[in-house]
Amino acid sequence: MFKMIFLIGLVVVSSAQAAEPLTDARSIVTNANLATYYAGADLRTETRMLITDAQGRTQRRQFTILRQDVVDGGEQNMLVVFSQPSDVRGTVYLVNKQPGEDDNRWLYLPGLDLVKRISVGDKRTSFVGAHSFYEDVSGRWVEADQHELIETTDSYYVLKHTPLDSDAVEFVSYTTWIDRTTFLPMKTEYLNAAGTVYRLVEALGVEQIQEYPTITHFRVSNLETGGNTEIRMRWAEYDQQLPDDLFSERSLRKPPMDWLKPARRIKQ
Amino acid sequence: MNSIPLIVRLATNRPVLIYILTAMLAVLAATQLPRIHIDTDPQNMLPETQADRVYHSAVETRFNLHDALVVGIVNETNANGIYNPQSLANLHALSQSILGMEGVVRPDVMSLATVDNISQQGPGTIRFEWMMNQAPKNAARAAEIQRAVSRLPLLNNTLVSGDGKAAVIYVPLSSKSLSYPISESLREQMDAFSGDDEFHIAGLPVAEESFGHEMFVQMGISAPLAGLVIFLLMAWFFRNLRLITVPMIVAMATVIITMGVLIGLGFTVHIMSSMIPIFLMPIAVVDSVHILSEFADRYHPGDDRREVIRRVVGHLFKPMLFTSVTSAIGFASLLLTPIPPVQVFGAFVAFGILLAFVLTIVLVPAWIVRSSEKQLANLKRLESGASASSLLARSVRKLGRFAVARPWPIIAFSLILLVVSIGGVMHIQINDNPVRWFKESHPIRISDQVLNRHFAGTYDAFLVLEHEDPDVVKALQVELSAQSALLNRYPGLKQVVDDLEVTASASDLDQIVMRLDDALFDANLDDEPQLLALMQAAERSQSALRYFQTPKGVALIEQLQGVLMDTGDVGKTSALADAIKVVNRELRSGQAADYRVPDSQPAIAQTLLQYQSSHRPDDLWHMVTPNYDSAAIWLQLRSGDNQDMSRIVDSVRLALEATPLPDTVQVNWAGKTFINVVWQDAMVSGMLRSLLGAFVVVFVMMTLLFRSLRYGLLAMIPLALTILCAYGLIGWMGKDYDMPIAVLSSLSLGLSIDFAIHFIQRFRDIQALTGDVRSTLGQMFEEPARAISRNAVVIGLGFSPLFLAPLMPYVTVATFMVLIMLLSAMATLLMLPALLRLLIRSPKPNDSGASA
Repeated sequence: MFKMIFLIGLVVVSSAQAAEPLTDARSIVTNANLATYYAGADLRTETRMLITDAQGRTQRRQFTILRQDVVDGGEQNMLVVFSQPSDVRGTVYLVNKQPGEDDNRWLYLPGLDLVKRISVGDKRTSFVGAHSFYEDVSGRWVEADQHELIETTDSYYVLKHTPLDSDAVEFVSYTTWIDRTTFLPMKTEYLNAAGTVYRLVEALGVEQIQEYPTITHFRVSNLETGGNTEIRMRWAEYDQQLPDDLFSERSLRKPPMDWLKPARRIKQ
Repeated sequence: MNSIPLIVRLATNRPVLIYILTAMLAVLAATQLPRIHIDTDPQNMLPETQADRVYHSAVETRFNLHDALVVGIVNETNANGIYNPQSLANLHALSQSILGMEGVVRPDVMSLATVDNISQQGPGTIRFEWMMNQAPKNAARAAEIQRAVSRLPLLNNTLVSGDGKAAVIYVPLSSKSLSYPISESLREQMDAFSGDDEFHIAGLPVAEESFGHEMFVQMGISAPLAGLVIFLLMAWFFRNLRLITVPMIVAMATVIITMGVLIGLGFTVHIMSSMIPIFLMPIAVVDSVHILSEFADRYHPGDDRREVIRRVVGHLFKPMLFTSVTSAIGFASLLLTPIPPVQVFGAFVAFGILLAFVLTIVLVPAWIVRSSEKQLANLKRLESGASASSLLARSVRKLGRFAVARPWPIIAFSLILLVVSIGGVMHIQINDNPVRWFKESHPIRISDQVLNRHFAGTYDAFLVLEHEDPDVVKALQVELSAQSALLNRYPGLKQVVDDLEVTASASDLDQIVMRLDDALFDANLDDEPQLLALMQAAERSQSALRYFQTPKGVALIEQLQGVLMDTGDVGKTSALADAIKVVNRELRSGQAADYRVPDSQPAIAQTLLQYQSSHRPDDLWHMVTPNYDSAAIWLQLRSGDNQDMSRIVDSVRLALEATPLPDTVQVNWAGKTFINVVWQDAMVSGMLRSLLGAFVVVFVMMTLLFRSLRYGLLAMIPLALTILCAYGLIGWMGKDYDMPIAVLSSLSLGLSIDFAIHFIQRFRDIQALTGDVRSTLGQMFEEPARAISRNAVVIGLGFSPLFLAPLMPYVTVATFMVLIMLLSAMATLLMLPALLRLLIRSPKPNDSGASA
């Protein structure tokens, strides 16, 4: 089943590259979701997050993400293991993403030697103090919004997305600029009730990793507070054939050290 | 005394020119008035460079603090208090509306509708969610919110009162000046809400800004009213409307020109300077009264009025100049205070007094010259007829007989009064609170009382902790420099190591950790162990510098919170330790036993990482810096009185003397309530300095004026007694010594010396003619004493419209002015004759003149 969806995705991507722009907002969004969050069968990458406040004061977080797609565009597993700062080293998040339903999330805090299940009230909470939300990291459920293609420029599809359940989110709508070739969202603007853009996500760097164009550098800005978080992914590697059992509660207390290091580094 | 100033000659020769010049000046000054800029920020009582103010601003920046309105909803009737669907719906709707308002710092608005709940959902599960994203549909949901809030110490008794009857919304503003328009627009919305909720708005910013607004209104009401009262009084004294228009024109021109110059020069109108018109109005008419009285006395129909008025002004020139200069010095002495708005006030009142003097000696003669013969005849008839037999005249005469007959009882009584007054001065309570600037019936006072009855307090102050330990960085530098060969192989790393300073913070060290991390990726395997060792060293130093993330640092915060609560004056404290304890409890059992700070730095750091995984991660930075090198303890105080704040400051100081902090930690105060204490301290010492300064200058002037040390001293006696008596009364009455009272001290000196100058000057003039003290004193209680009493009444009652103002400083000024006028007139008319009778021997009328 998931293979079929995956194939359809590929077909759509290649046809878009051919020339004729897509006109259906839904298929653009589906493509963008696949390109951004489901590239490859799995992904291993190190992430460095620099959280800067309006005064320029910074905090750094570094972690390794292991991601495995169960169903392309659907269920997904994720293991996030913190390495920096040293005080939170070994903190682990394990996520079993279930689009359209509440995700299963677990947390391990080595300092308290505590495994905890996190019940998600809302996916739009800060991810460990950053300006990016949990949802920015894991992807927003495609079905949660109504999508509208408002413009097709030479480079971008410009879409407006309106939430179906406006009580569940803090924005009124958001607009994305999706690259016509890669289907990567290069810019997203969130509008509040007053009609002003208060939140901005910008792709600052796209790299071709294996056969997948990947946003390896992006910035989330809170225009109200003047703070932002820059996120860089380093040493990303797709299709490493991550074993399924990595994404089990066992990995919380005993993170799979071998899989956390980049393959390049291990080879040295 | 015979020399007639050139300017008076000009006035009498070219009266129309004088009119035109005055009118032009007034119009020019009036064009500046619309540029008025009101400033009510008590912070501006301190110069911008004052250390505490600089620190306070730095702390506001460091912890992202803004001036905030405290908007309260109180429900006294519902059994569940505020926790009923209707009240919570109102709270929710009001919060939403506030979030949409221009000038509100949205991310920092605190309300049940904008904060997070952290709780356990089933065993082993933690949940972060909005506390009240939507208004509760039913009572059960409202009760759930109540349970949740009661578990969260950072919210309980801060957002909802302990008794559950009141809730507040903290509305931080991008600029304090917005607090008045925003509060007014909120008041309008509140009227539209249904249910039995009461709404309130409190907080220092709104009190200060509303004060500014009402002050502006009062300037427009009180000053003209004072003018009206003076006009009526003069009409009663002189019974001639045309005559009294001159002093009124002098007063108006003085006020307009002075305010025009003040505003034109770019000064802001502060609480004190808004009272300038009211101060100048009565003072400005006094000299005119003297000239008109004396002119009426000397002028006979058919005389050359130009000659008469020149003689009159020439004769009065010296005493008027001296009274004006002494009053001006009284106000100018305020320049000695370290408080800029008070300096501006003093300088411009002094300017206004001297201006009024100049205007008087040109405008009154010009007016006399331009008057018709008939009008001047009227003036003559009225003055000589009515005054000498009036009630005032008879009372004054009686007073004089008593003073001359019984000098010893008067002196004895004065001495007793002096002792009692000194006792009262010892009892003076130095205290101020901008909220108390409003009368008790004012909505701001009521809101303040209601909210502070329910809550742990709407006033805030901050106890700020700072940690600095250069030894940590020095040790790391030693370790790093031992590896210079290694560092040379990694230029990027070497660069940041070379740039490292001993004052480095945890985030400065992060540059090194980051470079080491990068280096480790590129390194050849041989370097790896050394790089790892360096990285561990850098990380250890980093952790040590993140002092308020260590168990020791957090324990220190808790310890200080304990000290603060032990003072008994603090309603509640909130700090980093509370956040850590709540998250720790919910991460573990959810039971009270786990409401504690974990015992390792990683555990604390990881607890805080969870705290940051909420909708409001930045709330943490209101309590600690991202470097964890400085932490703020929030104090909620039920009272904004400076006395209460001072007591807390003293208690903390004593507690820290008993249990000193580690050498690496410093503690300082910030917050509006604290800043008010600082400027008040500056004011008290500054006022004492300016009072003593003015006292000395006036004494020297008196000695020079009378060319006699003895008369100089005599002149100071009624004045000293007046001031001591007035302040003694304040002490015994228990009235707080606040800003207006403090400012009035030097002004009372400037005004009450006037009576003594006139009395002694006239006494000596008459004595030179009669040679006898007793008969001189008898004559003194005719026209001279009448003029003094009349001026006391004009000035005292001139301030009476201020009694009607809704603002307490205005009422205080009015009370004090009436008191001072009464006291100094009495002291002059009783003590001076008593002393003169005893000290001055009749046979040698010129003796006194020789002693200088």
